[in-house]
Amino acid sequence: MLEISVKCIGCTKCVAVCPFGALSMSGKKAVVNMSACTLCGACVQICPVEAISIKRETASKDFSSYKGVWVFVELEDSEDLSAEGDIRKVSFELLSEGRKLADSLKEDLCAVVFAAKNKNYERILGEYGADKVYFCENEEFTVYNTDIYCAAFSALINKHKPSAVLFPATVKGRDLAPRIASALYVGLTADCTALSIRDGLLVQSRPAFGGNIMADILSPNSRPQMATVRPNVMKISQPKSGKIAILIREDIKIDKNMRRVKVLKRRMEKASSSLKIENANMIVSGGRGMKSKERFRLVEELASVLGAAVGASRAAVDMGFKEKSHQVGQSGVTVSPRLYMAFGISGAVQHLVGMKNSDIIVAVNKDPNAMIFTAAKYAFIGDAHQILPKLTEILKKGLKKD
Amino acid sequence: MPSLDAISRNLMLDSLKAYAKKKITYDYIREKDAANECPLEVLKEMYDTDKLGVHLLMIPAEYGGVSGGTYDIYRICEQLARIDLGIATSVFATFLGTDPLNVGGTEEQKEKWLKKIAKEKLMVAYAATEPDAGSDLVNLKTRAEHVIKNGKLAGYSITGAKQWISNGGIADLYTVLAMAPGGPSWFLVEKNYEGFSPNHHEDKHGIRLSNTSGLSLDNVFVPVENLIGAQEGKGLLQAQAVFGYTRLMVAAFGLGAGWEALENAIRYSQQRIQAGGPLSDKQGYTHKFLVSHAANLEAARSYIEYVANRLDSGEHGLQTEGAIAKYWATESGNKAAEDAIQALGGYGYTRDFPVEKIKRDIKITCIYEGTSEVMEMTIYRGRWQEHLKTRGEFYSAMAKEMESLHALNPNVGADACALSLKALGTVLEECRINKLTRHQYVTFKLGSLIAASEIAWSFCKTAAADKYSETVKFDKKTYETMARVNAKNTALRTAMEGSALVLSAVDDPAGFAEKINLKEIEKKQKGLLADMDFIASSLKSSFKAR
Amino acid sequence: MKIIVCIKQVPDTTEVKINPETGTLIRTGVPSILNPYDHFALESALNLKKKHPGFTVDVISMGPPQAKAVVQFALALGADEGILLSDAAFAGSDTWATSYALSMAIKKIGKADMIFCGMQAIDGDTAQVGPGIAQQLGLPQVTFCEHIEVEGKTIIAERHIDGGSETVELRAPALFTMIMPKDHPYAYPSFTQIYSASKKKFSIWNAQDIGAESHYLGLKGSPTQVSKIYPPKKETETQFFNVSAAEAAEKIVEIMKKEGFIK
Repeated sequence: MLEISVKCIGCTKCVAVCPFGALSMSGKKAVVNMSACTLCGACVQICPVEAISIKRETASKDFSSYKGVWVFVELEDSEDLSAEGDIRKVSFELLSEGRKLADSLKEDLCAVVFAAKNKNYERILGEYGADKVYFCENEEFTVYNTDIYCAAFSALINKHKPSAVLFPATVKGRDLAPRIASALYVGLTADCTALSIRDGLLVQSRPAFGGNIMADILSPNSRPQMATVRPNVMKISQPKSGKIAILIREDIKIDKNMRRVKVLKRRMEKASSSLKIENANMIVSGGRGMKSKERFRLVEELASVLGAAVGASRAAVDMGFKEKSHQVGQSGVTVSPRLYMAFGISGAVQHLVGMKNSDIIVAVNKDPNAMIFTAAKYAFIGDAHQILPKLTEILKKGLKKD
Repeated sequence: MPSLDAISRNLMLDSLKAYAKKKITYDYIREKDAANECPLEVLKEMYDTDKLGVHLLMIPAEYGGVSGGTYDIYRICEQLARIDLGIATSVFATFLGTDPLNVGGTEEQKEKWLKKIAKEKLMVAYAATEPDAGSDLVNLKTRAEHVIKNGKLAGYSITGAKQWISNGGIADLYTVLAMAPGGPSWFLVEKNYEGFSPNHHEDKHGIRLSNTSGLSLDNVFVPVENLIGAQEGKGLLQAQAVFGYTRLMVAAFGLGAGWEALENAIRYSQQRIQAGGPLSDKQGYTHKFLVSHAANLEAARSYIEYVANRLDSGEHGLQTEGAIAKYWATESGNKAAEDAIQALGGYGYTRDFPVEKIKRDIKITCIYEGTSEVMEMTIYRGRWQEHLKTRGEFYSAMAKEMESLHALNPNVGADACALSLKALGTVLEECRINKLTRHQYVTFKLGSLIAASEIAWSFCKTAAADKYSETVKFDKKTYETMARVNAKNTALRTAMEGSALVLSAVDDPAGFAEKINLKEIEKKQKGLLADMDFIASSLKSSFKAR
Repeated sequence: MKIIVCIKQVPDTTEVKINPETGTLIRTGVPSILNPYDHFALESALNLKKKHPGFTVDVISMGPPQAKAVVQFALALGADEGILLSDAAFAGSDTWATSYALSMAIKKIGKADMIFCGMQAIDGDTAQVGPGIAQQLGLPQVTFCEHIEVEGKTIIAERHIDGGSETVELRAPALFTMIMPKDHPYAYPSFTQIYSASKKKFSIWNAQDIGAESHYLGLKGSPTQVSKIYPPKKETETQFFNVSAAEAAEKIVEIMKKEGFIK
């Protein structure tokens, strides 16, 4: 329940910030329409006199037996359905972040691997900070299956009772984690961009409302606390060579009939002629401000002169200027190139979270208040349509001379 | 017809917007505008019942339409005007052309023609205007003579010329007003009737996407069953019965096109940096080009909705109200568009930005369906009768209503509005005592002042309401501030211009100055500057640069 | 087959504005729309209905009473029946509690062969509700779907995976979450369709109607809690340039040289 106490001074600030229009003024006091309220807490934050509160019934449970920070280790997919791929880079990012969390909780960091064969995982994962590796060995794990993974992972959690579990916010992670959370009735926060520990609880920060605001999420009344984490957001720590994790083999029975969804065929994209934005050094990106697919070419031309990858905002992708694989941001790819150039991108946080870790950001936008400028080191107030051709021309000339 | 449910109405608006976004880009409009060409393919799609079917709004469900009410049609008209006023005019012409049938048609005629219009996507034209008969239909020269066959009235032979007919060159069906032996009457004329031919498409200042042509009728035989209402001499009544309603549609055009221009200016002002900051932060810019236009247009909206709701609840006529809505909305829209060009400076003067076209287009709204001057006269006539009939109580009652509203909500400027209405009543009374209305100039001026005060009255009430209509885009504080600014401006204008009007012909009438109460109205101006600052900042956050 | 599509009304996040002074959301005047992922899920279901006579498509949404708008939109596009879950008891539901409520409603409707959801909603971007419903109902799921074909009880689906795509096979009943294809021309209903939608069957169900246990609903039933909402913080000092296009181009080249990206 949202409660508004007599302390309300009728300043109407809460009415203005409510994202759901649930608050209104009745006389000189704010009142809430509970059928519209989603208890998001925006009004609680803004109220200058702390008149608004959210009343929760807290069932205090004892979670002292839940210990350990777990990381789901994801393996690469390949077209050969019988092959087991290498560990995906994001797993190391999660281990590096998980290490910090485990240290501040004074608990173990554990990696969870599902595979047909152990490929020295205790060494590789140990170097990236894992204290233990729960290794579940079964041929049925080679081709990922939601039901099989969910059953195995849930059983493991019930057995060992971790306090937190981190999943990569990849297709697999986002397929699996909600299923487990639903089965175990525990909290799961999607697409976190920062994690920390406060009063023994995992504080999970994520963008919301298309990235227009940030929210801190807690799961205080259930264990484990689960989160999916965006790839390319967490920095990988320097591996400690020689550190070996304790390998714990888990014998998990898998009924073949559990596989209700069968993969008939898998196709992996070949490294295409256009540069992939995930690993690019330089990215030239365009947004809604490029106006049309034709004019988006200006962005592509600059990128080709520079040998840079082409990025695009969600708006630009939605409007069909560029393929989805070039989309930078919350619902696209998170990137951290050395140079990121943004043309005609307004900079919704949904985009910013996907590129703000770039070393140097140059932004061009007509609107001096564009959010993109908050992330940029160099901000140009101007028309991308005029600047881009001039820039490309100068660079072409310069490069010819060399 | 009562209006549709809000969800259905807004879904229709969404579909229209989605279609326009895809098919009617500014580049497309610009090309057609330059070529002075009607976008027939777009119109056909808009009439395609599988794609959109905008014309169905005018047709009752039992004849294959969707039974739109006045409120629904106002909303669609506003949106059409935001897209392009030429296209809007073309759609409106079908609405208008269908009107005599809706109002005066016999059951058989409705059954036959409304169903045909709904199903066969017929474009309709409303052919009333003639070279010598514009807003004044009494001078009608087109004749409809009886054609007798076998001793029975078989039909009519129509001869005459029509002028400035929207859809004139492209319509499938024409509702033609002609003088029958029994008086002015409406006839349904199909495009292929012998002796009927449209003239060339006019080369107009604006709404160049709307086909406008004259019509020639040379002994066109029209069967007797095409006489609308099956009775001669009902034509003018049938035409006037819908003026309250059709003028509201043109008011919606002024509102839509005016807001479109204003929105362009607001967004532009945030991009254009002058002397170290965006124009949107400069009072000399915002308070001149943006703030009062926004308040005027929202005031217009409140009045349009007030009239639409009354019509939808079954009231008829409302000619004076329709005139007030049209007069205020189209004049406000026209001024907003004019200033939008100035607000965009050199860019505004080019065709790279849409404001230049909007300015050319919107002027027609002050002309067709009755010029602004005809509106001034109509408003004056309607309210002068009320003033006489009630012995001056008409406006003092409205003033009292505003005083009690001010006690309930002191934020909407109802106090200033009350003073304005009182001053208006005083001016009318002085005009009566001194017989000033024998001067035509005085009557037109009174029409204008009446419109302003009644608009302010409506806006105060709307802004003070607990719940706003689905169209209000602003938060309560902004909306209240707009109503307040409008009321303050109106009060000052009523007092100053009303006094000037009376004093120009009468030597200082006794007690006049006290009754006008300019002193009190001047006091109410306090806070106006801060109000304008506030509206300027709200406009900025509501319409961000794109 | 009986298809149920779960849809959500969301604020158009591309239109959401931030008050620069307070860093809070400005919601006034921001239009509510059908979540675009759900729009595609709905179109996918309706396409199957067109292809296979006898298929039915019901839509279900959870939200405040005004969310009826998206249900009516779905009916206008061709869905057969609409249900809105609306109750103050649902307020504050996180993805777990939402999945629970929706799965209870789907059970009440009964006999669903396929359940379609958008991959995620643009206001939350969690992508959790679809899999959550599948788990509650014990159904197999195919997430990130692009295309679905049905032959008898067998379903073939194309789905997106990281760096590629998969073709999968399964049997009904099952749940699918749909991605948003690029450059997709979304369908909009005609005026006639909209008019007839207002006459189609529409019901509002509350918590009691779906037999939900109240302790699993709303804030009480939600394992996650929002502890704080705040504007994203600024991390870099920004240097502004407001110069002509030619000067800007030269300045950018200068910066690229200075930072060592070009010689």
